[in-house]
Amino acid sequence: MKKRHLLFVVLGILVLAWPLVLHGVFIQHVAALLVLAAISASAWNIVGGYGGQVSIGHAMFFGAGAYGALAAYTDFGWPPVAGVPLGIIAALLIAVLVGLPTFRLQGHYFSMATIAAVELLRILLSNVSVLGASVGLMGPARPRGLADLSFRSPVPYYYLFLAVLALLLVVTAWMERSRLGFYLRAIRGGERGARSLGVPVVRTKLIALMISAGFTALAGGLYALMVGFIDPESGFGLLISVKMVIIAALGGAGTLWGPLVGAAILIPLEESTNALFGGSGTGATYVVYGAIIVLISRFLPGGIAELVQLLSVKARRRAA
Amino acid sequence: MPVTRRTVLALPVLAAPAILGAREAFAAPSAVKIGAVYPLTGPMASAGDSSRAGIELLIDLINTPHPELAPIPLMAEAGLPRLGGAKVEIVYTDGQNSPAVAQSDALRLITQDHVVALNGAYQSGNTLTASAVAERYGIPFVNGESVAANLTERGYKWFFRTTPIGPDIAALYLDFLASVGKTGVKVAKVAVVHDTSEYGVSVANTIKQVAASRQTPIAMDVSYTVSTSDVSAQVLKLKQAAPDAVIFISYTSDAILYMKTMQAQGYKPPILIGDDSGFSDPSFIKAVGNLSQGVLDRSAFDGSKPGSNAAKIDALYRKKTGRALDDTTGRSMTGMLVLCDAIDRAGSTEPEKIRAALSATNLTPAQLFMGYKGVKFDAKGQNVLASALMVQLDGTDYRSVWPAAQAAAKLVLPFKGWS
Amino acid sequence: MILVQLVTDGLLVGAVYALLSSGLTLIWGMMNVVNFAHGDFVMLAMYVAFIAVTTLAIGPALFVPLAALVLFGVGVVVYYALIRNVMRGPMLAQILSTFGLGLVLRYAMFWVFSANFVSLPDTLVGGVLSVDGLRLQYSRLLAGVVALLLTAALHLMLTRTALGSRLLAVAEDRTAAMLVGIRPDPMQALAWGIGAACAGVAGALIALFFYISPLVGDSLVLIAFVTVCLGGFGSVPGALFAGLAIGVIESLSSWFIGAAWKDVVVYGLFLLALWVRPQGLLGKS
Repeated sequence: MKKRHLLFVVLGILVLAWPLVLHGVFIQHVAALLVLAAISASAWNIVGGYGGQVSIGHAMFFGAGAYGALAAYTDFGWPPVAGVPLGIIAALLIAVLVGLPTFRLQGHYFSMATIAAVELLRILLSNVSVLGASVGLMGPARPRGLADLSFRSPVPYYYLFLAVLALLLVVTAWMERSRLGFYLRAIRGGERGARSLGVPVVRTKLIALMISAGFTALAGGLYALMVGFIDPESGFGLLISVKMVIIAALGGAGTLWGPLVGAAILIPLEESTNALFGGSGTGATYVVYGAIIVLISRFLPGGIAELVQLLSVKARRRAA
Repeated sequence: MPVTRRTVLALPVLAAPAILGAREAFAAPSAVKIGAVYPLTGPMASAGDSSRAGIELLIDLINTPHPELAPIPLMAEAGLPRLGGAKVEIVYTDGQNSPAVAQSDALRLITQDHVVALNGAYQSGNTLTASAVAERYGIPFVNGESVAANLTERGYKWFFRTTPIGPDIAALYLDFLASVGKTGVKVAKVAVVHDTSEYGVSVANTIKQVAASRQTPIAMDVSYTVSTSDVSAQVLKLKQAAPDAVIFISYTSDAILYMKTMQAQGYKPPILIGDDSGFSDPSFIKAVGNLSQGVLDRSAFDGSKPGSNAAKIDALYRKKTGRALDDTTGRSMTGMLVLCDAIDRAGSTEPEKIRAALSATNLTPAQLFMGYKGVKFDAKGQNVLASALMVQLDGTDYRSVWPAAQAAAKLVLPFKGWS
Repeated sequence: MILVQLVTDGLLVGAVYALLSSGLTLIWGMMNVVNFAHGDFVMLAMYVAFIAVTTLAIGPALFVPLAALVLFGVGVVVYYALIRNVMRGPMLAQILSTFGLGLVLRYAMFWVFSANFVSLPDTLVGGVLSVDGLRLQYSRLLAGVVALLLTAALHLMLTRTALGSRLLAVAEDRTAAMLVGIRPDPMQALAWGIGAACAGVAGALIALFFYISPLVGDSLVLIAFVTVCLGGFGSVPGALFAGLAIGVIESLSSWFIGAAWKDVVVYGLFLLALWVRPQGLLGKS
């Protein structure tokens, strides 16, 4: 156990200190994107991984957060960060509105309903002119002050995102051990069984979805701060939702570290395939990217978490 | 040396220094590196791919002597003469269909590839985020094809745009229809059909505003979502309302679908105008050109006048790619040409000098291969001389038909469609 | 008159949706696997048709079966190479693997054919049937008729043949099926083959009146998902019924509300329908 603690301390120091040592701006940028992806995948993981409710519509919360930030700037002239809470409130409302009627759906039906809901929102949004319609919303063209949180260097974003991720991990770790966590796992195991054990199924799902939606919206708000632009496709697009699922599934859904591992693999993979092959115009980017996803799912259907489990079982056997 | 597994394995190791060395030798003297961000995968890849092919051709023409293209800047000599004949090297990146990816690309180009200037990025959203990075780093960014009005309203110092935008386009259509109306053709009832993408909405809205301000309001507005699976009801609606002219603002996939469906429903509007984009795409002509005879298209490119710059460039492009040069590609190429010309006039790769040279740009129509009235930027970085023509499809080629002064062929109405 | 034309157009589009969905619902129902690569199977079939027409100069009577055959092979290979192993894992692994597979197929075609749009000559199944001012494209009529036949054939195969009962037995309970001497792997490979072959038929027929591009699956697959879900997973008649319903709803809402809103109407009604019937229209609860 001691050795494991030491490992975490060393890892923690590395994660915190490396941008101060390495000065490659692009690498720092990728690291910030990685942490951001880890936040949204971890947020998805709460309801999708622990609760087994596979939402493929989490972009509705992500988009709400991003739009909250940039609508506050465009429509009221606030610093975008001040709009993030608005985005979170909107996401919580959407969570209740979408969650309550769809929670009775099982398995794939729930997934499909979330896809339909996010598509519905995306198309509605393309027709709402105060939210920029399909033209989208932009952030401050150049920072008006520190409050706009618009930096040339990716490093401030990196630390900001890292702080949010740490908070989310603490919440998730707490949830894992709390009654909510047990309820969620019971629901994942089988809803009928959970109900017979006295688990308040709908309430549990709703609370989990709201925590998940809130953090996903926060991730969306942070995205808007860094990218400075949002439109219906980049906020509510199907790919945004699918990516959260893929990252979590790749690392191991329903585990604390899974989404982090998934993001640590997928984001650098995405960026490096794009950097290496993107300019060739052949589509090789996605052939390689897709093939690696296929290979991982083929040999480790349970995600990288399965590999870790396998290795630790082997190690224990060897030790015994 | 017998081929064993070991030698095979050793090959890449032996070759590596050679490859790296060769690269060094190519890049060594003073190649000027420019970054290009275009959508090379995803739904816009068809357009991005053409732009890339066009830019490749342009750079090849700049880097090798082509006296026959002399009026166009940088063509006569090899490389950039005022930089000692330095070659231009383009680093291409794929902005996909994502403003976040375009942002990453711009950052990588500036901080890792150390490009001296940027060009791109097709979709307005991608252009917006990529140029914001350039602005922060003080690197010139020239855009040749994005139409969103807000791009030049940001007060940016490093952003320049050569393409005509919404108001120019709207004025073109309304002037054209007014002039056709004077010849006795009925043009009272005009319909606009557009998708709900940023491109479709911003062009359609500008047309509606300008039309209303000229007291000739647009009679009918039909909108639909991009890459739709069926357009029968929309075509039926047009057929029922029977407008005198229809303006389509569509991407390639939908443009093809509309033409196929119009044939199926047996509907031909008397005047059919396609707004560039989908209708300019060579694959549109390949796929449904035989159903679209006489379709009018907004374009600043007309390669049909023998001996013109445009015809020469078109011939070279056809030789390279096997398809005709389209307007969107031509606009991208012009953006890149203006950028290279400015770098040459700056005589330096210092960003501030390039920026100053861009601001001082003053190209005449004779120096271009697009039908612009020239290139000259205002304080916001917008080309005030950008303009477009009306071209008409005849066989497999578009020919300019309006304004009369620049026409290569006679306008034929009504829309013929299929036979 | 307009209304009749609108409903007819809607029914024909709906038949296309049904055609797109038949293979998807089979795979989904038989093995509880979401195939995110289904749209890309359809896209492959469209290219099979395109290549067949441009190089072999054959007509739909030949290239439709050819596409079905090629896709059948693709389905079987995908099952043995990928799905068999993925099914050991959680449902998420299916999303991961079929999504990745879709990307690979899509961009492999992109690599070969580039991003350009192509189209089959409109003379292959050209012409328009005109009755009392009602206009129907022959190519769409053909797709509609085949959709009906295919649905009927699949339904009969599943409910009336020994093969069908074996397929269903494996779907119902893999272990129990093994106990009565059915080897599940060939059965499930067959289900994938048939499912993919349906995508093959769909793609080859749709190619007659649609454009072809490596990313064309994207614009077709989402509506197929909705169709399958609305009909009830695994219900072949359900997919037909749902497809026709969606086609007509789209057509009418495009006319009365506006084409930009038709998807909002479809998704809204879909959510409402699920709320009332959580197992889909014809699904078993």
